[in-house]
Amino acid sequence: MSTSQAIYAGWMEIPFSAVNDKARTQAEEETLAALVSQYAGTLYRVAFSVLRNPSDAEDAVQETFLRVLRHRDTLDEVRDQRVWLIRIVWNIVLDRKRRAKTRPETDDVSELARVLPAKGLSAEQIASAAQHHAHVLACVDRLPAKERQVLMLSAFEELTSVEIASVLGITESSVRSRLFRARNLMAGLLQHTRT
Amino acid sequence: MKYPVQDGFPNDSGSGLGSAESTLRLIAALPAPAGLEERVNAGLHVRQRTGRVLAWPAVLRFDSAWMRTAAAAAIVSVVVGGGWGIYAHVQPSQSAKGVAAPPHVASPVGGFSSAGAMRTPNTLNGQVVALPATAQKQPVKAGGNITARTAQTPPRHNKLAAADKAVAPAAK
Repeated sequence: MSTSQAIYAGWMEIPFSAVNDKARTQAEEETLAALVSQYAGTLYRVAFSVLRNPSDAEDAVQETFLRVLRHRDTLDEVRDQRVWLIRIVWNIVLDRKRRAKTRPETDDVSELARVLPAKGLSAEQIASAAQHHAHVLACVDRLPAKERQVLMLSAFEELTSVEIASVLGITESSVRSRLFRARNLMAGLLQHTRT
Repeated sequence: MKYPVQDGFPNDSGSGLGSAESTLRLIAALPAPAGLEERVNAGLHVRQRTGRVLAWPAVLRFDSAWMRTAAAAAIVSVVVGGGWGIYAHVQPSQSAKGVAAPPHVASPVGGFSSAGAMRTPNTLNGQVVALPATAQKQPVKAGGNITARTAQTPPRHNKLAAADKAVAPAAK
């Protein structure tokens, strides 16, 4: 077969039919629904840890899956879908955080008092705990961006240092050194605010 | 040097330092709100149906044979139309024999002619400048002001001629 014949045959032999198209669309929808049911919770928690607002975090999750929908043709090429999705949502929430104004600590206190588990605690204890958590988060916000990001992602027990490195696009040794620095800085900040 | 990843804060002896990480862990472990998946799925479904996600409709995808044929026909028509447009608008150039050159009108006084832009100098057929009879050049003597001396003292042959004129009547 000559080259031109081969090209012509390839041109003509691309399979297409309405049935195939419908089936493919349905398969894509099912794959996407499976991704949502499997990872929506994880993505929400990642988003909430940065944005600290339930509705904003939910919007970020929604936007993440919309991006996945746009790139559904490349889903098969993704090696680790969980890390890939966390990376997408991480970039989205960082972008939103950058654009949003600085969140006051009082907002965090009220929001945390609402969402944190409060089983067997009195109202005073809940308020005190919320205040403490908000204070810790305010100290986290004062960390340099690189250290802060690593520290926040390290709080997710399901993420290993290799996966954190993959999400942030750095090496594993960088993750470890940044985390060490972040903990030292955090200890200093907390010590300073206590005195 | 090893940096522990999940080992807690350094110098954790101070109260409150360890609880900082527990705060982060607490927030990281917050459960997702109920019905999150359904809302996300519903949102995706709506976006897909309303076409807010930029994508070609299935009918207009390039997978379809007729769409590919139409695209190929459009490309061919553009190429052919462009070629025809160029062919129709560009006139063939005339041959060298047919080109009529304007006659060159040589101006008798020279100058720039309007057609040939050729200048004819007027040194050959113009007026002849008559050179006035000038005195012969004196050789330049070193250290002397020639112009001043020639103006004060007449030339020697003039002196002799004047002497001859004066002697001649007396001899007669």
